[in-house]
Amino acid sequence: MTLGAGGLVRAVTVAGALPVLLAGCLAPLPQPMVGLNQRLEAAGPARAPSLSGDWLALIVSRGGRDRVELVDLQRQQPVPLPGLERPDAQPLSVAVDGRGERLALVRQLEGRTELVLYRRNLMALQPVPLQPPGVPRRVSLRADGRELAVEVSRQGQWQVDLIAVP
Amino acid sequence: MALLLSGCGSWARRSAGPVGWGGADRQDPALSGNGRVLASVVRRDGRDTVLLQEQPSGTVLPLRHFGRLQPHRSPSLSWNGRYLALLVQQGPERRVLIEDRATGRLHRLPLPGGLVPESLSLAADGRRIAIATEGDGRSRVQLYDLTNLLEPDLPAGLPVRGAPATTP
Repeated sequence: MTLGAGGLVRAVTVAGALPVLLAGCLAPLPQPMVGLNQRLEAAGPARAPSLSGDWLALIVSRGGRDRVELVDLQRQQPVPLPGLERPDAQPLSVAVDGRGERLALVRQLEGRTELVLYRRNLMALQPVPLQPPGVPRRVSLRADGRELAVEVSRQGQWQVDLIAVP
Repeated sequence: MALLLSGCGSWARRSAGPVGWGGADRQDPALSGNGRVLASVVRRDGRDTVLLQEQPSGTVLPLRHFGRLQPHRSPSLSWNGRYLALLVQQGPERRVLIEDRATGRLHRLPLPGGLVPESLSLAADGRRIAIATEGDGRSRVQLYDLTNLLEPDLPAGLPVRGAPATTP
C-alpha cells in the first residue's frame, strides 16, 4: 500500500507535530508542597495569600474569626505577630516582604477601613495615611519592602497608589 | 508590648498614573520585587485586562499571551518582572497561567479537579506559588514548587526585553 500525496502530507504533518505533542505531555508540572499544604489545611479555611522569600502571609478563619498568619516556610511553622491582631478587626488583605519583616495590612476596624504597616522586629503597627483620603482594599508589597501598592476607592473609582515605605 | 507608631516618618505617595483608556478603574496592583514593574487590572472594552507598566515612567510593557482570555485577575510578578502569574478565564474554566517575558513561553498550572482558583501570589524568585482556591465547600491556600518549571528570577537575573536594565 502506498500513500497518495494527501496522505503523505498528513503523515508529515502528524510526524512534525509529534515533538510538540510529546513536549506538551512531558512538560514538567508544578509540585504541590504536600507537607506544608497539609499543615495549612489543618489550620482552617484560608484565603488572600502573599508569598515572598521564605514567608507566606495569609488570612485564616478560625473559631468564626478571620486573622492574619505569617508562616515561616523553612520551619513550616507560623510565627507570632504580637500587637498586630485585634479581636474587633476584620483583615481584608495582607502582604509580606521577602524577609518576613514587614507586613502591609488592610483591615476594617470600628466601622472604617484602614491601611497599616506592621514591623515584626519592633512589634510596631503604623497607620499608613492615604492622601487624598480613600477606602483601601487590596495591598501588595515589594519583595524588598521599600514600597507598597494599594487599591483605593475614591469617589466611586478604583485607583492604585504607590507609597514609599519610610 | 506592641507599639503604635503614629505619624512617624514620611509616606511619599504617587499615583500609578493614567491607564490610557480614559478614567478606567484600576485594581489588583502587584509590584515586581524590585519595584520596576507594576501589574494591575483595568477595564478595557468592558473586560478586566492586565496592564503591565514600567515604573516610574508608566510605559506600557508588551505581553505575548493572555489576549481573549479575559477577565484577568490577581496578577503577581517575580523579582525583575520576568514572570507574570495570572488568573484567566478560558471558556468555563478559570486557569492559572505564567508568562515568561524573557522567553515568551506560557506555563499552565493544572489544579486538582473541582478547585477554582480565587487569587495567587508568586514568590519573587519564581521558586514557589501560593494559590487560594474554593472547592469542596471551603476556601484553602496551597503551595506549589516551581523549581522544575521556572528558572529563578533573582536580583541579578536575566534582563527582560522591555524592562528597565538595572535594579536599585
